[in-house]
Amino acid sequence: MSARFETDFWKDEERRKIWDHIVPGEPRKTIPYTLTLEAIQKYCRAVGDMHPLYFDEAYARATIWKGLIAPPSIHILLMFSCTPADDWMRSPGTINAGQSWSYNIPARPGDTITLQARALDKFIKRDRLFVIHDNVFFNQNDQVVCSGRGWTIRPN
Amino acid sequence: MKSSFDALAQGQTINGPSFAVSRESIREFCEASLDFNPLHWDDEYMKGSFGKTKFEGIIMHGMTNFGLITRMLTDWLYPLGAVHRRLETRWKTPVKPGDTIQPVARISGKKETKTSRWVVLDIEVKNQRGETVAIGEAMAEFPPA
Repeated sequence: MSARFETDFWKDEERRKIWDHIVPGEPRKTIPYTLTLEAIQKYCRAVGDMHPLYFDEAYARATIWKGLIAPPSIHILLMFSCTPADDWMRSPGTINAGQSWSYNIPARPGDTITLQARALDKFIKRDRLFVIHDNVFFNQNDQVVCSGRGWTIRPN
Repeated sequence: MKSSFDALAQGQTINGPSFAVSRESIREFCEASLDFNPLHWDDEYMKGSFGKTKFEGIIMHGMTNFGLITRMLTDWLYPLGAVHRRLETRWKTPVKPGDTIQPVARISGKKETKTSRWVVLDIEVKNQRGETVAIGEAMAEFPPA
């Protein structure tokens, strides 16, 4: 990952949209990201997933995947690597309430990943501020890698 | 000979790996996922209240559950020549440093469509006290040979 990634999520807080200003249907700003083998393997280690499809080129080449791939859940990393520092998903106190994801083809090391994302809905339930957001990740050939929805509780 | 799909039975369970959660494992997930929300590293911030909820300490990323469930499913599916196609999850209980979590899947249905074959699974993640921390549903494809 680029050394420019801002890990202090407070720093850009004033520039982020709050729940009141999130417009369902309005696209979020996104940025292309080149997925590296290093980033894939760092993610895999963090969840203890040492499958050779992610680590052993010779093994992976002999499988139906014909080479190293990323695990399906790599979108966890892609969500933050494909969005800018002022994206509201980084707002401190954002609570992840649930997710649903569909997988088409695997992401691979060297892929340039792009994201199309938007809030689909926002509502108040049991005194909490919710947003439903949808996200579709593509590779450099405009093939869908995966698509998903998330439910987050927004800070007030 | 039965195919791997034919051999699957409703109610069959798949046990995932257990995962020990620590401040270090949470920090490692911050670095690997780039999710540096202070919920996961800032003790002072977590002394506050979040609406009706008070966490009283940092919590594990909900998406660590998601990654662990994925690992369980792909470890099971890859050797069968099958493909992980969908995962939906909801978080029920926060996970904290010192907890150990483990996912399990149970086959809830099988279906053949015009061109492929599918398995649907119920998912549950429990902590060391037997409390449910996440639930969900998954779907896998078993392409015909």
